[in-house]
Amino acid sequence: MGRMRAWPGKGAGAVGRAGTWDPVTAGVVLARLGPRHEPALRFFTPREEAVAEALLDHVLARSPDDPPVPVLTVIDDRLATGEYDGWHFADLPQDAEAWRRSLAGLDEDARLRHDGRGFPESGYGERDRLLRHVLQLGSGDWYGMPAGHVWKLWTRYACEAYYAHPHAWDEIGFGGPAYPRGYLRLGRGLREPWEEPR
Amino acid sequence: MSGRAAARTLWESARPQGDVRRRNASAWLPHVTELKRDMRRFADSDEVDMVVVGCGAGGATFTQRLAHAGWKVVCLEAGPFWDPQKDWVSDEWGSHHLYWNEPRVVGGSHPVPMGSNNSGRGVGGSMVHFAGFAPRLHPSDFRVRSGDGVAADWPLSYAQLRPYYQRLERELPVAGQYWPWGDPHPYPHPPHPVSGNGEVMLDGCAKLGIEARVGPVAIANGRFGNRPHCIYRGFCLQGCKVDAKASPLITHVPDAIAHGAEIRADAMVTRIETDREGRRVTGVRYVRGGREYVQRAAAVAVAGYSIETPRLLLNSTSRRFPDGLCNDHDLVGRYVMVQGAPQTAGRFAEEIRMYKAPPPEVSTEEFYETDPAKPYVRGFSVQTVSPLPIMWAEHVAEQGHWGPDLRKRMTDYTHWATLGALCEFLPQAENRVTLAEETDRHGLPVARFDHSQCANDGQLMEASRKVMEEILRAAGATELMTVERYAHLVGGCRMGRTAEEGVVDADLRSFAVPNLFITDGSVLPTQGSANPALTIMALADRAACRLAGKEPR
Repeated sequence: MGRMRAWPGKGAGAVGRAGTWDPVTAGVVLARLGPRHEPALRFFTPREEAVAEALLDHVLARSPDDPPVPVLTVIDDRLATGEYDGWHFADLPQDAEAWRRSLAGLDEDARLRHDGRGFPESGYGERDRLLRHVLQLGSGDWYGMPAGHVWKLWTRYACEAYYAHPHAWDEIGFGGPAYPRGYLRLGRGLREPWEEPR
Repeated sequence: MSGRAAARTLWESARPQGDVRRRNASAWLPHVTELKRDMRRFADSDEVDMVVVGCGAGGATFTQRLAHAGWKVVCLEAGPFWDPQKDWVSDEWGSHHLYWNEPRVVGGSHPVPMGSNNSGRGVGGSMVHFAGFAPRLHPSDFRVRSGDGVAADWPLSYAQLRPYYQRLERELPVAGQYWPWGDPHPYPHPPHPVSGNGEVMLDGCAKLGIEARVGPVAIANGRFGNRPHCIYRGFCLQGCKVDAKASPLITHVPDAIAHGAEIRADAMVTRIETDREGRRVTGVRYVRGGREYVQRAAAVAVAGYSIETPRLLLNSTSRRFPDGLCNDHDLVGRYVMVQGAPQTAGRFAEEIRMYKAPPPEVSTEEFYETDPAKPYVRGFSVQTVSPLPIMWAEHVAEQGHWGPDLRKRMTDYTHWATLGALCEFLPQAENRVTLAEETDRHGLPVARFDHSQCANDGQLMEASRKVMEEILRAAGATELMTVERYAHLVGGCRMGRTAEEGVVDADLRSFAVPNLFITDGSVLPTQGSANPALTIMALADRAACRLAGKEPR
């Protein structure tokens, strides 16, 4: 067992191996763990924040037991600074405007269906049914936008934020950065000494 | 391997590299970050021999060749001059700055996402984050109209491009097994060891009797000048910090600087200037650090790739060219192509850990050529791809998985292997770049790219999916997922025999203005099922050699 200690971070998740990363990579990845600057939100209004949090809870199935992975603050930061992905669908406005309009749409849909209760105030099952309805519309129109393209916008931003986080890597068994170390044991069923069986 | 293949492989891998070094000493020079400090600087008022717009596969190769021949060259690049150690990270999200993130609008019935998928920014262009596959086109790709009755013939033949392919394979260098398809040829570096993902593809293909090969990838496998070899860290698509994977930043820019070229980064060209009559170009207008400058030049080469090159030409209107420079025949921005690139993933009982080792490992071109027994023309190639977590999550989400379903499936990441196809989509006039109403921060209209598939395109997508599913199943996959997507970009300013057929001729000189060149992927009339980087470099090499009167014997 003593030999195991020779592998830094064994059992401590991706962050435990940060000592084997190059400093620039370590800086970028570890920053995702640290405190965030104030003001926490610059783009979303408080109402949009409430709708977006509820939406992300569903899209990413977040529970209170999950390790803390910031998603809304990351999306807010991108929309506030215009850090988009370099394109948008012709039938959708720019990402920031598409987020605003789609969150307002969700809230509006909830009010119409749930006796005036907005999206965040609706029950879990109600919100789930509402989102399924949007997904099923496919290329059909939803508040002036094709529902399928709106869905892709939500899932893209949510996945980009969530699966960029080392806690999410531990959840799926991804080893994280591997420079300058690299890999030595390539092949089906082979593991580096520090890789945990999945 | 046949005796001839073995002999040619031995000859290629054992040959001395003196000619490579004499032609392009990049691998033997100090690192580009050091060379940059003493780089020659030209004044805007100097009339340089050539100003090149864009420092990617086409622009950097063209710059290096002309500088090597003694020309005074300035290469303007909209993005930064990267230092791989400081600017690149082994991290997916942390590499977002490698892409062209300025706005672009995508439309049509099959809109093509841009950004990380197919755009580049900074010195080295999109090759900085390309996977590394560097196959040649097949001879048949140059005469698709004659052979298959669709698309177009090129104004040059495979034989005319062949020596340039060979030169560049040695300069990158390309590693792989002897290549039995198209024009069979050996590679200068031996094939890389393969990871779980590559083993799956080799195993599945072997069981089905499909020929597959390791390579061809532009990643050094062994000693090449001062360049380190690959360490199999798996982040090829995030920029190679190791300097093992080729990009013009390390394969052509060092020698260009050593021969007196200036690579002027962070310089966004907004307009190509012409004389009053529009007979000749006189230089380019660009913005750098918020200020506008004009670099004078005796000739201009545009190498901004299939979106930005048409955009720049369309934005460069004048009395002589009211619809955009070189756009007398409404060809600028037309016939833009992407390859259909569905990815099929299979789940295996044992761990695959596809993120280990470079994503480009194994490929097959068994389905590349037209098969008369099939209802479609042309074909596709199949290659290994290895999505990292964010891309994998989008892959899973694309299947309609979300919520608990998405999170649960993601926890299985280490058990999946992924293959990708490249389907030869046909050029269509309506798949085009135009100017949108939206503007960028310089106030210039941004590009809009409309794309729709034709029936043949859809049939190829379907056929390639079936083949990938069969390969994965034969290798033991118990569950399959396919996501439809697109990869690469070519066309938009295609070459032709006449001004009515193309924007430029086979030497990449524009028909409309004799001292204006287009030296990037936008000149390709068809695309085959090959990754385009090597072909773009070969075309730029050929054009520069023709221009400088230094054609290889």
